[in-house]
Amino acid sequence: MNLDDGNPIVNAHDPIVLVRNAHRSFRRGNERVDVLGGLSLEVPPGEFLALMGPSGSGKTTLLNLIAGLDRPDQGEIFVAGDKVSGMNETQLAAWRTRHVGFIFQFYHLLPVLTAFENVELPLLLLPLSARARREQVMTALDLVGLTERVRHRPGQLSGGQQQRVGIARAIVTDPSLLVADEPTGDLDAKSATEILDLMAELNTSLHKTIIMVTHDLRAARRAHRTLHLDKGVLVTEPDMSLYEAG
Amino acid sequence: MHTIRLIVKNLRRNPIRSGLTALGIMILVPVVTLIWSILSFLDAATEEKASNLKAIVSERWTLPSQMPYSYATSLSEGASREPDDLRPEDSMTWSFFGGSLDPKTRTFDNSLFAFALQPQKLLTMMDELDSLPADQKERFGKVVDKLASNRQGLILGEDRLAAIDRRVGDRITLYGLNYKDINLEFEIVGTFPVGRYDNSAAMNVEYLLAALDAYPTSHSGKKHPLADKCLNLVWLRVPDRSAYETIGRQIAESPLYTSPSVKVETASSGVSTFLQAYRDLIWGMRWLLAPAILVTLAMVISNAIRISVRERRTEMAVMKVLGYRPNQILLLVLGEALLLGAVSGAISSIATYVLVNNAMGGVKFPIAFFGVFFIPNDALWWGLAIGLATSFLGSIVPAWSTRSVRVVDVFSKVG
Amino acid sequence: MHSNRFLLMTLAVLAVAVLAAWLSRIPIKYVMRNLLVRWRTTLLTSLAFTLVVALLTVMLAFVNGMYALTESSGQPDNVIVLSEGSTDESFSNLGFSDVGDIERQTGVARNGETPLCSKETYVVINQPIADPPPGRPRRRFLQLRGVDDPAVSAKVHAVTLYDGGAWFSDAGVQRVDGDNTSASAIEVVVGEGIARELGRDRSEQQLASAKNVERLDVGDLVAMDTRRLVIVGVAQSAGSTFDSEVWAKRSVIGPLFGKETYTSLVLKADDAEAAGRLAEFFNTQYTKASLQAYTEPEYFRSLGETNRQFLVGIIFVAIVMAIGGIFGVMNTMFAAISQRVRDIGVLRLLGFSQWRILIAFLAESLMIAVLGGAIGCALGYLANGWTATSIVSSGPGGGKFVVLRLVVDLGIVGAGMFLSVMMGLLGGFLPSCYAVLVRPLDALR
Repeated sequence: MNLDDGNPIVNAHDPIVLVRNAHRSFRRGNERVDVLGGLSLEVPPGEFLALMGPSGSGKTTLLNLIAGLDRPDQGEIFVAGDKVSGMNETQLAAWRTRHVGFIFQFYHLLPVLTAFENVELPLLLLPLSARARREQVMTALDLVGLTERVRHRPGQLSGGQQQRVGIARAIVTDPSLLVADEPTGDLDAKSATEILDLMAELNTSLHKTIIMVTHDLRAARRAHRTLHLDKGVLVTEPDMSLYEAG
Repeated sequence: MHTIRLIVKNLRRNPIRSGLTALGIMILVPVVTLIWSILSFLDAATEEKASNLKAIVSERWTLPSQMPYSYATSLSEGASREPDDLRPEDSMTWSFFGGSLDPKTRTFDNSLFAFALQPQKLLTMMDELDSLPADQKERFGKVVDKLASNRQGLILGEDRLAAIDRRVGDRITLYGLNYKDINLEFEIVGTFPVGRYDNSAAMNVEYLLAALDAYPTSHSGKKHPLADKCLNLVWLRVPDRSAYETIGRQIAESPLYTSPSVKVETASSGVSTFLQAYRDLIWGMRWLLAPAILVTLAMVISNAIRISVRERRTEMAVMKVLGYRPNQILLLVLGEALLLGAVSGAISSIATYVLVNNAMGGVKFPIAFFGVFFIPNDALWWGLAIGLATSFLGSIVPAWSTRSVRVVDVFSKVG
Repeated sequence: MHSNRFLLMTLAVLAVAVLAAWLSRIPIKYVMRNLLVRWRTTLLTSLAFTLVVALLTVMLAFVNGMYALTESSGQPDNVIVLSEGSTDESFSNLGFSDVGDIERQTGVARNGETPLCSKETYVVINQPIADPPPGRPRRRFLQLRGVDDPAVSAKVHAVTLYDGGAWFSDAGVQRVDGDNTSASAIEVVVGEGIARELGRDRSEQQLASAKNVERLDVGDLVAMDTRRLVIVGVAQSAGSTFDSEVWAKRSVIGPLFGKETYTSLVLKADDAEAAGRLAEFFNTQYTKASLQAYTEPEYFRSLGETNRQFLVGIIFVAIVMAIGGIFGVMNTMFAAISQRVRDIGVLRLLGFSQWRILIAFLAESLMIAVLGGAIGCALGYLANGWTATSIVSSGPGGGKFVVLRLVVDLGIVGAGMFLSVMMGLLGGFLPSCYAVLVRPLDALR
């Protein structure tokens, strides 16, 4: 993956994600666990970023903070110019619909809804006509290559297909940021490759900024940059070439 | 023992569900208990007794029954004339006097209907008062003595006393409702034992008769219109059915009762004639209301058990892998339902019994001339029986369905 | 249940629910399909609603039938005159001498020269039933109304007879075939309801040769101890208290049952307003006798006390059953929610806020309620038109035995649906709150 691949980073002056000195701790029994201890991070627009690290390193916590699912105890988080760390629950809910698309390890589709209806879900919260919704859903399904299976329920789709529906749902509102938590964790190698191809494609042709948490080196290798977390701090920012060599 | 521990543990696993189901049982069982209490009382009241029965003598044709008081003495003797004739063991005459505290407006709260009778008969002939426990009998005996010594005495039920807002010892005037222009002054001398007579009143019949005798002097010599119609009922106690029939024949053949003529019937037959008007209502309570509540109950239980079974299919498959037989799993589920049903049902009916009989003083349900109903002692078992029966009915299908849990589900249903 | 208040309230609640569901943007398909996927549970849960609502419907229809009797029996332009202090005809005694004066008062309408005054003696008699079929009572109370001039009384009460019937003759008695007793049969006109009731006393053989198997008809005989009644007419009396009465010549039955005086006079005025004035006149200004007068609608309304008592009982039972049902719904909804915690998590992440989740699950329990309630109302509707016996009275002592027709109307359907919807809302509320409290991140872990 080449950094100069027509990415708009060069044109953007402000990072799309800006994390400043974020602290987050949890209670486990009587003990306080500091998951993130003053972490700072900048993600330029259009970047495909991979977050790696052992379990408990705080990568999922960081992803949750960036996606507006959780709020830091201390520090500030800006996404696309909005101060996410200062919003309340309701504001966050509305903000997420417009600005963040989620891709999950276990897809998390609603089992009673068809592929089309699952993808349509986030659009229902936006002031769109049924016709506009339909067009957007079909575009999203077209992008993930699933136009043939719109009437199928999740139970009638393979894992890879379900994840495509998940991705279509993530991009249907045209968010500036996609967050993916182990998107290939539950897939066989072939499907995993297809999903990673799709994500790379979304990144390059639609200029989506993607932040992906993964355990999978192959997956991380598709990203522009990989950050390693350990005990709540970024331990290093390895050069892409290192991975290429490894 | 081990099985019971497992059952209890399963019930405690989802306390919300077990609790809700138990609450459902506990709220529905009392309604059935109440309905059955009323029905069993009415059944008992209309059941023909073989011995120690009471007969009622009343006007043959019309309602309300109005007979001349001159019938009283001979009817009380069962119309016996010859030394060989059979006499009833005991008797009581009833005249009804209705009065209102306010001469102008009559409401339910300011009026009452009193049995006018010979005071001592309250203790020997009135249903339930004739079989009071010793301590109550002694207390009420003193009240009756006061009524016997004070012609203007009045005994009231607790509820009636509260409704007219008076206390024992107060003097009241009742303006005649059914006896026009007969206004009587009373002194409240005591109350009935709590229970069936909470809304009743009793007065000394001598007082009513004296008032009727005095009527012509203040009404230009004219008799009161009801002067010859003031005997409403005569009660007779007879040892058995053959005595009842003999006395019935003596009365029917007596030349004394021609205008109007009279009839004799057993108390239970008299009650059942009155209940005819409520026939469909009673039918509905017995065959629609109670069964529908029981079915609702079974469905609430069934729903809860179905949900539990569905959630635990994997677990049941594991148990099968470990060697449990289908019937053991079935019994486990059934046991869960039965335990829940039995315990909640039993608690519920005992609570109903205590609450209704002791705290509330019976349930008010005006039907015919009965006003208050109590939960019979038998009802203490009803809750247990209802709980067991409905939980069995409700859980048998879901319990049976556990037999079809396949061992392979252990592996396929994960995630 | 003349008012459709509950129906309107139900519609209002449902309208709010639909609006809220629309605003919540949770697809209704999602709610429906989840109910369909668990159709057994859905059905079982809604059956609890069905039973409660069906029972409520039948019970209310019964009381409704009683109200229909007490509220529509009276003619608005009629005044009923009783002796003072009596609220019930059976306790009333009017002096012979007073009657002539009462009917000649101004305000009493006339038919030519005849005042429209129905002079009546009402007696309740205890009729022994000679040979009752199994399961039938051996005695019953029969309500007899003796009238002087059936033509006038029929006009005052607006009672008409079925074809083939006639009012009793001046003598009031006639000889009938097979009369082996010395006394002739008493001619009577019977209400349709009591004709049906008396008809059930017939034996198989009698039924086989009966003119009308549904009820007694003209020419049929009723045993009354030593006397017999011969039916000369059947009144079209459905929906009034006359439905349960037997009418005969007063001069025959008065002496027979020891009631020599009149119990009541019913006077027709020119219109309802004039009737009100006439009743007022007898109550306050008339001095020749102490009377108590009511307009007929007033009089019959006063007999509604029993209805009120029944209504209270029904409401109690319905509410208790509803609470029991609510626990059932709560179980279902708690289970539904714990099964779909992940769905809730996803929806929350996609931006559906807490109140939208609340609405989605409330809508689900409401749908169960509407389904169950609607089936319940439909089942309850089967009872429409059933006949039942009951009693209407103004309080203890007295009352009329009536045959009534169960009436299921929109008001009752509304009450049933309202109860159902409230059960759904209350039963769904706690579990839905629990759904709201699901933390999306925990749900997806």
